[in-house]
Amino acid sequence: MSAEFSSGPENTTLSELLDRDMPADAEAISAAVDVISETLARLEVPEQKLLEIALAVQEALANAVVHGCGNDHSKQVRCRMKTDADGHILIIVTDPGPGFSPERLNDPKKHENLHSDHGRGVYLIRQLMDEVHFEPSGNEIRMWKY
Amino acid sequence: MEINVRKRSQVQVVQLRGPLRMGAAVDDLRQTFEEALANGDSRIVLNLAEVNMIDSSGIGLLVRFLASTKKNGGSIKLIQPSKFAVQTLRLVGVLNLFEIFDSDDAAVDSFAA
Repeated sequence: MSAEFSSGPENTTLSELLDRDMPADAEAISAAVDVISETLARLEVPEQKLLEIALAVQEALANAVVHGCGNDHSKQVRCRMKTDADGHILIIVTDPGPGFSPERLNDPKKHENLHSDHGRGVYLIRQLMDEVHFEPSGNEIRMWKY
Repeated sequence: MEINVRKRSQVQVVQLRGPLRMGAAVDDLRQTFEEALANGDSRIVLNLAEVNMIDSSGIGLLVRFLASTKKNGGSIKLIQPSKFAVQTLRLVGVLNLFEIFDSDDAAVDSFAA
């Protein structure tokens, strides 16, 4: 489970693995997730860790498309992936939207929400990644996997 | 994602291959479920052996149609979900909503029990 810090361990030198702008549509984000998975596989990231990162990125990009861009294909979402010397992975997803307050989200595991057909994305991200930080603007998420 | 649908003993056997995530995959599976229900088929078994990822959109779809099929006297039962799919379903608290089987035969036969 992740904790939220005001800043991750980003004072170390980070190498950029990916910096990609994409239209706000489902097929573009799926393609980006596939590229990220391939990159992590080339880095020999263990499969379990790779899947957890890939799913967290899928969720973050989906939120950016749906909530940050209102499913407007003419808008762009940005996804960056970096690594440090210890092989820790940083993912940053940015959208042009007005932002949101993560603390206002419902708990999807509460009984009254279990049968809902939405509302699990941010919760999943927090479970899958080791550190999750939402920029105060609410339209950028930074998440670490150690 | 590929979807293969066949009928056995009044049960829809749906085989998926690929990630079940927002976009064409979820849309196509939704259509498959809707068509089944429209045809009066509320007994569905879903083979997930070749599905390496289910995102929250996919989970939402499964949960929604589990409720719909149950309202019509049926259910959606899962076959051979991957370790990661099980982990994901468990993480969001919905794993126990579903019956899970090791084979198509076992899942299909469970409707007759």
